[in-house]
Amino acid sequence: MDLMKQEIENRISLYGLISRLMLKEVDEAFLKHLEQDDTILSFFPNYRDWAKRKEISTKELVEQYYNVDYTNLFLMHLVPYESFYTRDDQMIESGGENPVIALYNDLDFRVELDAARVVSADHIGVELEFMYMLCVAQQKALQADDKEGVCELLEVQKAFMKEHVLEWVPLFLINVKKESRTPLYHDGAELTLEFLLSDFEYITQKLNEYCGK
Amino acid sequence: MTKSMNNKQPSFVESRRTFLKGTAFSVAGATFATGVFKTIADTPAVAETKFTPTPQTLAFYPPLEEWNSFTELDGNDWKRGGTGRNGVQSEENPNGIKATEYMLVPTACSNCEASCGLTAWVDLSTYKAGGQLAVKKYMGNPLHSGSRGRNCAKGYATLSQMYDPDRIPFPLKRAPGSKRGEGKWVRTTWDEAMKEIGQKIHDTLKNGDEISKKQIIYHVGRPNENGFGPRVPHTMGLDGYDSHTNICSAGARQATIQWTGDDRNNPDWANAKLIFLQSSHAADAGHYFQQAAGRIAEARKKGAKLVVMDPRMSNSAGMADLWVPCWPGTETALYLYLANRILNEKGINGEDLVNHEFVKNWVNWDRLMADREYLAYLAERGYVKSVPQGNSYEEFIAMIAEMYSPYTLDFVAKECRIEPRIVEKLYDMFIDAGTRVATYIWRAGTIGHKGGWMIGRSAFLPFVLRGAMAGDEGGVGLHEWSVISVNGQGDEATVAGVKPGKVDVWNELIWPPEYPLSSYEMSHILPHLLLDDEWRNNWNAKGLQVPDKLAVYVPRMYNPVWINPDGFRWIEALKREDKVELSFNLSPTWSETNWYCDYVLPTGLAGERHDQHSEATEPKRWLSFRNPALRVALEKMGWKPKHPARATLEAHIKAGLGEIWEEIEFWANLMVDYVDPDGSLGVRQYWASKEDPSRAVSIPEWYQVAFDKLPLLRKTAKAAYPDSKYPNYEMMRDRGTWMEEDHVYRPQERPLKKEGTTFLVEGHEIEESEVQKDEFGALYIEEEGKRHVIGVDVEGRQAQGFETASKKLEFYSQYLKEWKWPEYAIPIYPTTKEDREKMTHVVTQVHHDFMEKENDFALNTIFRLPYNIHTRSVNSKHLMEISQNHNPIWIYTEDAKRLGIKRGDAVKVTITDTVSGLESGYFIAMAVPTEGTMPGVLACSHHAGRWKLKNAVEIPGFEHKLGVMGLGAPLYEMTMDGKIGTLKPKEGLDQGMEARRDSWQFKEFNKDLDNIWWDGLSGAWQNAVAPSHPDPIAGNHAWHQKVSIELAGKDDTIGDIYVNYENNMKVTQAWRDKLTRPLNSSDTIRRPKHVKRPAVPLSDKAYSVNIS
Repeated sequence: MDLMKQEIENRISLYGLISRLMLKEVDEAFLKHLEQDDTILSFFPNYRDWAKRKEISTKELVEQYYNVDYTNLFLMHLVPYESFYTRDDQMIESGGENPVIALYNDLDFRVELDAARVVSADHIGVELEFMYMLCVAQQKALQADDKEGVCELLEVQKAFMKEHVLEWVPLFLINVKKESRTPLYHDGAELTLEFLLSDFEYITQKLNEYCGK
Repeated sequence: MTKSMNNKQPSFVESRRTFLKGTAFSVAGATFATGVFKTIADTPAVAETKFTPTPQTLAFYPPLEEWNSFTELDGNDWKRGGTGRNGVQSEENPNGIKATEYMLVPTACSNCEASCGLTAWVDLSTYKAGGQLAVKKYMGNPLHSGSRGRNCAKGYATLSQMYDPDRIPFPLKRAPGSKRGEGKWVRTTWDEAMKEIGQKIHDTLKNGDEISKKQIIYHVGRPNENGFGPRVPHTMGLDGYDSHTNICSAGARQATIQWTGDDRNNPDWANAKLIFLQSSHAADAGHYFQQAAGRIAEARKKGAKLVVMDPRMSNSAGMADLWVPCWPGTETALYLYLANRILNEKGINGEDLVNHEFVKNWVNWDRLMADREYLAYLAERGYVKSVPQGNSYEEFIAMIAEMYSPYTLDFVAKECRIEPRIVEKLYDMFIDAGTRVATYIWRAGTIGHKGGWMIGRSAFLPFVLRGAMAGDEGGVGLHEWSVISVNGQGDEATVAGVKPGKVDVWNELIWPPEYPLSSYEMSHILPHLLLDDEWRNNWNAKGLQVPDKLAVYVPRMYNPVWINPDGFRWIEALKREDKVELSFNLSPTWSETNWYCDYVLPTGLAGERHDQHSEATEPKRWLSFRNPALRVALEKMGWKPKHPARATLEAHIKAGLGEIWEEIEFWANLMVDYVDPDGSLGVRQYWASKEDPSRAVSIPEWYQVAFDKLPLLRKTAKAAYPDSKYPNYEMMRDRGTWMEEDHVYRPQERPLKKEGTTFLVEGHEIEESEVQKDEFGALYIEEEGKRHVIGVDVEGRQAQGFETASKKLEFYSQYLKEWKWPEYAIPIYPTTKEDREKMTHVVTQVHHDFMEKENDFALNTIFRLPYNIHTRSVNSKHLMEISQNHNPIWIYTEDAKRLGIKRGDAVKVTITDTVSGLESGYFIAMAVPTEGTMPGVLACSHHAGRWKLKNAVEIPGFEHKLGVMGLGAPLYEMTMDGKIGTLKPKEGLDQGMEARRDSWQFKEFNKDLDNIWWDGLSGAWQNAVAPSHPDPIAGNHAWHQKVSIELAGKDDTIGDIYVNYENNMKVTQAWRDKLTRPLNSSDTIRRPKHVKRPAVPLSDKAYSVNIS
């Protein structure tokens, strides 16, 4: 239980980090936070060692490199929405017909599309933030020693990962890696992919060990 | 990047399992997370409400039964977390989400011709709380089968037009003592205006002579209604209906009339395999585009291909499977090339490509083959080598296969200046689609050129040969099959109870003797004719009675000064009080034309008027019913007008919209109370109410009768409103749209209606024994020596047939031969320069033959800007923000480089006519080099370049200044001296608007006038520089111009124009006098009687002519 309490904090941090990275352009504050933790920075090895970071200011990097890459990857050339990958007609479904949105609704979650600046709630950044929300909820359950709640939340996480995130995100991230033109997004994609695969194993393992499922 | 990175960091992947190991990160997740989720679980519990924060689908719409009262959450609802978190606003819960009670009043858009359904959302909450009754938004009407609840930007912009800060609030009269164009106005009332206008009309009609019946002209812009307009002059016994058709669609109408007897086609986009557009019209601008584009998108989703033929890369061309840039005006050659290959080649399985079953049964080849004299004429002209021996169908096919064989790939590539591979690909796509090829031949080439109509005529030929003109699924049908026209059919609600009789005069100012076949009224040369004494004297000397002036000229929602070519000539004519004695514009907005009228009478926009409006946008018969939303809302809440036939005006005054009226009530009241108050002129009876003859007919009375003509509507209304006195009217008021018939396919094949031995044809009963059949199968009766064709025998079946004289599609247009144009009675195009000179009537005035100097270009002016197509939308803040009056001139990049022209340069564009050789002047435009127009062809839309001469006008005794087109037109200075006219920009519209940003009118809707960031100064009024080019046959203005360009001088400003309008008059005269074949002493009638349309029914007496 104690170990899980420590792990959940890191899971929350990582989901917070990767969802933020995928949801909107980076800014100086975000990069500062990313760089201040050596462990997190170690997940971005190419970025860490990138010579350009020493040559020009962070502001210029953001404006001239990262924003350009973000626009290319998330707005123009790739389509970061689940329904695009899972529907035969490759249409983005933004209404209640979208099973992801139906799921959020069932669990009383609402996505504020204007804050997210996305056209549909099945955006990769939103799905990852949903995982973040589930982890936060799990943390509360852990703090309350609510085993039943923890197990229920792990079940939800597993189902959401299996039925949604892992159905399409790996494919999308492989595309991001290939298309990326900056180490930040390359490493970010790699980190996200590897973390998601690892976390799915972790969830399964915990359900097994802790919840007896 | 991927490879090199991974190579450098081989251990990274292996480390993935260590994510959660070790110490906790020093950065918490909340630092990173964006926070896009809100959980309802965290919010306080609130009472259950009926609101659904998120509709299940985007297509959600309130059900019809809730339209009279539908409460909707404020637009900020979803941002604030919904009623689930905040509850609904009330006294106890002031922080809740605001909910507004609306009444949804259905109406129809009036910003283009498509008539998409709208609903006006009238805010009842504010009104019930003591505020003003207002429309808060316009949305779609989901009941409308054409638009299906969807609208384009122009539909939603209706609100910004309704609450335009510069809206004309009351009738205006030219200030006594001032001259037209001085811009001095006084406030008047509708009754004062009607009194003076009514008296003038009364006095003119009272003369009763032939000339007087030609001196009142009702000039209708985009009508957006079906049949009411012509009724106005008709009931006065006048030949006085003028349309704007000849600057819009006359070429396409001419082509379609020659083939089908109908004047426009109606494609079945949704089921086509190939969408073949000439122009961007259907898919991104212009006719019916919102409805058409949706269906085109659906067809493409099913696998249909899209071809766009256009010298300009429009939005449609950009997304098409094939862009076919063709030298403007030479498209005829390309269509005949398709015909050549269809006739002379076989399919991949060796089959004929001609659809013989269709062509043999439904094309009038038999009449052509029987006309041996004409066949000999074709041989003599070299169209065919010799006259076929027999007159069989097979010989016909062999003959035309030979006739079109010169239209080879090589010829087309040179003539159209197009790459052969594109032409070949087009052909393959055309053949692959079989009979499912849909097109809409309307504007573009057909209105751009001398002989533009021949482009349409030839365009239909490959469609006919392939069987795509059979009106079947996925192919091309016809307009009359779908359109419902009952707006003028309220006669039974009037004292007269019947239609007026036919009118006995023929107005030469509308249909001059030079243009007996034009399609239709020659309104674009009206000022030229009015001011041409020599022309008038010439015809009067030959026995005609051409008037030398107009007593009353009435543009209706029309702006001829600005949109017609040769605008200075229009101004010249309108300023002449001896030529136009009285003029008034029924206009919702300020316009350049208003400036030169005696009265400006503000009429309603889409949600402020009644119209029955139907269009052929698909194989269905639907109609829209336009409603004045505020009137309907008031009446439903129990308000009653003082005068039942003036309810719309009274309602608009009560709701604070202004003294805004509508045409139907206006004309009825004008006629009954002012034109013919005692009934002595015989006019009153057609407008006075049958229910209460002391007053004009009311709207419910009128529409109850008009809609009664539609059986299904009538039956449904009676069932839905069993206790109503006016069930038809009430049902349409409440629904705003109706579909009378679906799946209208191949109606020409339908059997003639028959009961026993009696045929029922267009309301007439005809005994079978009276019906005769000619050798070609046409079924006809004879009455007073005249033949009336009622149907056609096809393979033993008595079918309704097409609308032509032969009841078949007319490859051979017999009447064209009889009316002096035998060489063009079949689709044809010259193939050599020598022939192009001989056959000049079907060769464009911008043919590349005329491009001699390196800076000579063809100027393509005909493309619509999808957000700004009508003069009535000029001051829509919403639309103007998108368009900004911006209208650069497109030039091909290599041409620009060659001439040293860069993006943003001011260029002088000088227009020269190729018929007369005269120069018209120039306009200064902003150059934009682009790959989006073909080499040698410039593009500059004629839909922008608005101007005004004053920012605002002062009205004596009225506390506020009235703004003039503050959002859509910059301020200009004008000079004109009878020969030369100039216009020079003086100030951007942003400056003018800034001065009155605190609008006195409709403040709530105009809080952002300090944010007008566009100045409107990058367009020019090119229409004024362009001379009128009347096509000798179709009569349309041929819009394209031959121009030469150069960099502008240092004193030139973008927006400047310099016009030699004395020369422009001569250009128009040259086109009229050199190219036409006018009526002469051999003619006994003015125009073939079976050809549409004098809009006002004219008698045999009117048709007859005797030229001495």
